[in-house]
Amino acid sequence: MIRTLSQIEEKVLTLKKTYRIAVAWAQDINTIGAVYKAVNKGFIEAIMIGKSSEIIKICKKEGIGVNSFKIIDSENENQASLEAVRMAKTGEADIVMKGLVGTDRFLKAVMDKEKGIMIPNNTLSYVGVLEIPAYHKLLFITDPAVIPFPDLEQKIAMTGYAIEMARRFGVEKPKIALIGASEKMSGHFNNSVDYAIMCKMADRGQIKNCIMDGPLDIFLACDKKSIEIKGVETPVNGDADILVFPSLESCNPFYKGLMLFAKGELAGLIRGTEKPVIVMSRSESEISKYFCITLSCLMA
Amino acid sequence: MVLKTLNDLNLIVHGGPKKKLVLAAAQDQHSLGAVVKAWKENIIEPILIGDKEVIQNICASNNYDISGVRIIHEPDTDMSVEMAVRMVSSKQADILMKGKVGTSTLLKCVLNKEWGLRTGNLLSHIALFEVETYHKVIAVTDVAMNIAPNLQEKIAIVNNSVACLIKLGYSIPKIAVLGAVEMVNENMEATLHAALLSKMNQRDQIKNCIIDGPLAFDNAISLESAKHKGIKSEVAGETDLLLMPDIEVGNVLYKSLVFFAKAKVASIILGAMVPIVLTSRSDSEQAKFDSILLSAAASK
Repeated sequence: MIRTLSQIEEKVLTLKKTYRIAVAWAQDINTIGAVYKAVNKGFIEAIMIGKSSEIIKICKKEGIGVNSFKIIDSENENQASLEAVRMAKTGEADIVMKGLVGTDRFLKAVMDKEKGIMIPNNTLSYVGVLEIPAYHKLLFITDPAVIPFPDLEQKIAMTGYAIEMARRFGVEKPKIALIGASEKMSGHFNNSVDYAIMCKMADRGQIKNCIMDGPLDIFLACDKKSIEIKGVETPVNGDADILVFPSLESCNPFYKGLMLFAKGELAGLIRGTEKPVIVMSRSESEISKYFCITLSCLMA
Repeated sequence: MVLKTLNDLNLIVHGGPKKKLVLAAAQDQHSLGAVVKAWKENIIEPILIGDKEVIQNICASNNYDISGVRIIHEPDTDMSVEMAVRMVSSKQADILMKGKVGTSTLLKCVLNKEWGLRTGNLLSHIALFEVETYHKVIAVTDVAMNIAPNLQEKIAIVNNSVACLIKLGYSIPKIAVLGAVEMVNENMEATLHAALLSKMNQRDQIKNCIIDGPLAFDNAISLESAKHKGIKSEVAGETDLLLMPDIEVGNVLYKSLVFFAKAKVASIILGAMVPIVLTSRSDSEQAKFDSILLSAAASK
């Protein structure tokens, strides 16, 4: 089982494969640094698409050999994004990574009806995995980046992706908490309705390989003491592996709060595409980007 | 206590003080016969309100001995119903029964805001069946009153029914929320309601019962059928109450059980201050009698 974000790299190295990564609009110091680290470790071959002069400039400044990557010159963000996605579509690349380009613009290329790499009829979503010193295991969360207000179908898809990722980490039957402000069903919160439906679907084997309950608040999801104090019976029991949030605006501040205040570390991936897609924010650190690279190789 | 047959209701009735049943618009051969029989068997003490002369004539021609029975003369139908309802609301009678008057007229009086029998609850119909091929009495709701109950109405129907069953000696009745299938299907509202009711029950928002669903009819009443489908359910095979999706399937089930399975049935209206017996001309003598028996057992 993979128990920390650093262990993802260890697992990837045991697979003894080389993954080709196409980076769109790559002239970003953190991105270049992260990719270079992976290249050095031997499991990544990188194609950096962007303003080649700037890419080279950054490499020289950081003491990175320009020959570590294949550099492809590109005139603008859109063109760079389309080219990276094209390479994934044709099989010239195994992974697509967003560089300095804005997420919306980048995802537009990913989702392009003709040239994109969306799996038909799939939901585009994002699953993150958090390492938090105060929690006894890795916590998978969704969706902090793509779907603003998931409907029932989208919530089911998000959950499916999270289960799939958790299982790749070695968690055979992840415990899923469907997060709300309270464990009670309420007419004020439509999400509780979706959650009840999902729980019954899990009961009936329509959502497989998990132990699911919700609505639950964060305390009941992640804190055994709260379970005892509140006397709520739930199979998740303060031991959640996966948290499914009702909205982007609840999931996003959750992980950012943990990163800011609780030394949390996040790796994450876009799901629903033919090849793994990495979209980290431009402000994320090099180490975060590196974790995402290792994660994309694990899920490839 | 498990009710195996409708006869078992006698144990409850004879274990306490005799209940007073008021028959509104009593000049009705069908209801009179049942009331007199129930009186002779010591189930209830009747109070007849209606056209005294007509009542006496009917009894004479049918050999119903009503010597000693209290009769209040009121030839006007509407007035007789109002009198009967007022008797109940002033606690002079414990059960209301419909004689020669339309159901809607009777219910209009029941729902009168000043002197009626409102409790703030929805009125609902419950039928108890004794079927040879099932190991105990099985209740079905709502087959006659609520046409297409929404979620809130189903919650009210469940609560009415649970309160009634507890009065009949059930400790924690098992409720199957019926659908055409045991899986949740977004296009089948009954299955969605089932998921919501199950979760509310799990969270103790619907109390004193165990709810599971969706369950198809066979899964609800046959543990073997449920096991065959791989369904894990605390209710399957041991259902005490079937919650029907709507009145049409409910009514069809009711009549199928009576005509094809030769079931015995007793039914009453719940949700008012007291049980209400609404027999119809098509009911068998036994069914009318059993409904009175049920109303006496379910009365406070």
